[in-house]
Amino acid sequence: MRRYIVLFIFYFIIYLLLSGGTYFTDVFFAAVVAAIASALTAKLLVRNEEKLELRRLYYLLKYFFRYMLVDEIRAHIDVARRVLTGEIRPGIVAVPYYVGSDYAKTLIANSITNTPGTVVVGIDDREKLMYVHWIDVKALDPSTCRMYISRVFEEYAMKIFE
Amino acid sequence: MIRMLGEIIQQIVFGIGVCLVTIGAVFDLLAALGLVRFPCFYVRMHAATIGVIGGAVVPLIGVSLISLVSDQLGPYRFMFAGISFFTALLIMITAPVGTHILANAAHKLDLSPKEPIIVDKMGEDKR
Repeated sequence: MRRYIVLFIFYFIIYLLLSGGTYFTDVFFAAVVAAIASALTAKLLVRNEEKLELRRLYYLLKYFFRYMLVDEIRAHIDVARRVLTGEIRPGIVAVPYYVGSDYAKTLIANSITNTPGTVVVGIDDREKLMYVHWIDVKALDPSTCRMYISRVFEEYAMKIFE
Repeated sequence: MIRMLGEIIQQIVFGIGVCLVTIGAVFDLLAALGLVRFPCFYVRMHAATIGVIGGAVVPLIGVSLISLVSDQLGPYRFMFAGISFFTALLIMITAPVGTHILANAAHKLDLSPKEPIIVDKMGEDKR
């Protein structure tokens, strides 16, 4: 039951954001659309509804702000400097990951790709490795690469989705 | 007194929004420069990432802040703010998927020269 309510609130907010609704008709149609959409998609999107907690939402918001304000700014300045000076040491390295769920994997891969300087090229589910194209190869062995690239993302992904 | 405070807050939010849009313009310029200057497809992808986050998401958040405090828009300002902010979030979620697929396809089919490259763990492991 909880997943229907959570998704209903989520879709309701999205509809109101997109329509900018301040009238009664907007709110009414938002409720109708959100009810239908949540009834259709709840079982597909949320498998285990025990995991829908406020604590995880708090970590997600904290992660969003930390990601935008710390990691992104650092990476942007670094790559912008490389654009102007032209000093690059590119290479594809292997980075291990230890999470199980699909959402967590997607969050880690998206975070790595969204940071300038690292792009996920491939993913190996059996060996639990991500192949990352790195603009400045600082290390070759997997655990040191993980320290540089994805340790912070993985800690937060564990807290949010595991 | 309260009205004056409100106007000051409006001005501050407006200033932050204009700053974010200016930062976005600078990063777009740098991304375009990088696309020209970098040597191969994979390295150019990093420049394209600058254009996505620094050049699209950040200025969209700035636009949403600006429209939130623009009184002349009337009740539509919430619509503008909501659409810009939500579009920024959507770009953040969907853009890396496109980058990932492009890189994966180029590497699998060996469509572009990889040099300069120091190490290629993915090519070594496949063999």
